[in-house]
Amino acid sequence: MPTAPLTRTVPWAAVTRRGVLGWIGPGLLVLALLFPAAAGAFYLRLAIEALLLGAIALSVDILLGFAGLLSLGQAMYFGLAAYLTALCYLHLTQSFWLVAAIVIAAVALVAVLLGAVAIRAKGVYFALITFGAAEIAGKVVHNTRALGGSDGLIGIPVPSIGLPGFALPLRNDLVFYYVVLVAVTLAFIGVRRLLATPFGSVLSAIRDNAIRVPYLGYNPFWYKLVAYLIAAEVAALGGLFYPLLRGFVGPDLFGFDISTQSVVMALVGGIGTLIGPLVGGVVVTLLQSVLGSYTERHLFVLGLVFILFVRFLPGGLFGLLRRDEPP
Amino acid sequence: MPEILPYLHFVVLPQVIDGLIIGVALALMALGLTMIFGLLDVINLAHGEIYMVGGYAALTLIGWGAGYWGALVFVPVIAGLAGWALEDFGIRPLLPRGDRAVVTLLLTFGVSLVLRDLAQVAFGTETYSIAAPVSGVAFLADVPVPLYRVFVLVTGVATILVTWWLVYRTRIGAALRATAADPDMTASFGIPVRLVYGATFFYGCALAGLASVLLSPIYAVFPTMGHDFLVLAFAVVIVGGMGSIPGAVIAALLLAQVHGLASLWIPPVWAETLVYGVMMLVLVGRPAGLFSRIGEA
Repeated sequence: MPTAPLTRTVPWAAVTRRGVLGWIGPGLLVLALLFPAAAGAFYLRLAIEALLLGAIALSVDILLGFAGLLSLGQAMYFGLAAYLTALCYLHLTQSFWLVAAIVIAAVALVAVLLGAVAIRAKGVYFALITFGAAEIAGKVVHNTRALGGSDGLIGIPVPSIGLPGFALPLRNDLVFYYVVLVAVTLAFIGVRRLLATPFGSVLSAIRDNAIRVPYLGYNPFWYKLVAYLIAAEVAALGGLFYPLLRGFVGPDLFGFDISTQSVVMALVGGIGTLIGPLVGGVVVTLLQSVLGSYTERHLFVLGLVFILFVRFLPGGLFGLLRRDEPP
Repeated sequence: MPEILPYLHFVVLPQVIDGLIIGVALALMALGLTMIFGLLDVINLAHGEIYMVGGYAALTLIGWGAGYWGALVFVPVIAGLAGWALEDFGIRPLLPRGDRAVVTLLLTFGVSLVLRDLAQVAFGTETYSIAAPVSGVAFLADVPVPLYRVFVLVTGVATILVTWWLVYRTRIGAALRATAADPDMTASFGIPVRLVYGATFFYGCALAGLASVLLSPIYAVFPTMGHDFLVLAFAVVIVGGMGSIPGAVIAALLLAQVHGLASLWIPPVWAETLVYGVMMLVLVGRPAGLFSRIGEA
């Protein structure tokens, strides 16, 4: 067990470093809050989708940017959460909180079981195990008639979120948008605060030198497992709302395309910045949608963006701003 | 039990022979992937699209009147050049970086998206078929096998043997194995390590091109042909051991049999899932795969 004091408090101001970067987050939040006033119904729904996909990108960043683990299967938790959500609303209950509790518990169970296996593998094998697990999960759903097979599940009812005294009808796009914005913002703040604690420092130390950390008395396994669990829950957050946006779920939600797309989003925004992947999610979703209305070649552009960022701008958009910390 | 022998002979044996042919073609694909990984730590996610490029190149060359045999000669060269260009312009600048395994994986994924989309622009989403150059049927142990499949089997086995000979019995192969073991030390002996990297990409991608020409008359040519095949080739490389040459061949033959034989008793879609199940079991039990990496004893 670690002998170093884990309760050491880190001054909040020191970890946020309110320079230019420190004000970008609040600034973006204000923009996001004002956004519905300027946007039509189409862009409002697109923004919801961007935030939900951004949550998967955030989960990729927790793993890649802080634990040094590349997951090619984060879509599995997105898909798992989406299917569970859909099944619950279709057959079990209309209570948002009960469904959320079921999803959180189920995702935690899968993440701990798979994470315990995957984390033992080093480097590139971790990427392959997560990829393989997501591929199998997608195939099993695709082949199972009870889960709708390749057609997926349709006609998912949209619930209201019950709060003391009143209810938030998610059927209303404006309410839905603000609920998702609040949920993603809370997840982001929670993750950022957690990673600013000594827990986050140990995690970064493991990423930088996995051999030395055990000599300091920390067992990397538990730190990585917790990071994996949190990342899975963040990706599941996207899956908790996604079926309500679309009204259906399909086996491609588990797929390689969503997993890799979320890595693109994290890369475009800037790996290791946390806010970057959320912005990357918005940028990539918008880019795909706008390009999709002009040309069918959005896959081409996505690939090109990918190549250019890896090759010339590996720090992403926010990497440009972080001059103080070399990548 | 008098029924068991005819069952084995006329139901199981044809499936085994078919699995053997697919397994050999799969081995060509997996060999390229595993050599590139063994040498450079690079997971080439564009390998499937190189295979696809091979398919379309064969289609175009045959359309121009080069004939199947012309395609068989030229397509591996074209695919090899595409791989060499990928190494030269894309991979090489990323190699000095500490996280090269991750960044090259991301880069080759971007390349795969671009190539797949370019194929759709140039050829559309239709499925094209290529006529087999030989017709007729051969009998292997009283089982009818199309002559073309026998040709695929023979060509594939010959290529695997040539690859083994090149890697383990020639000076070029010695340079390759030495580079895989310790690039700095090898470079200090005056071996042009950069050239070894480029040549490995060329050869690995040429193998994918060859597999493509061989399999095109059996399957077909379409934009996502490489994507599906790559995932299977990955399972092979993982089971055999990333970077292991004998491992890639043995695992390809093994997994093709698992898939083929399982298809007899369970629906083919579940047989495919089973292959990934085997892959996961190997990853969990023995993450480094069944055989050791090239350059290691």
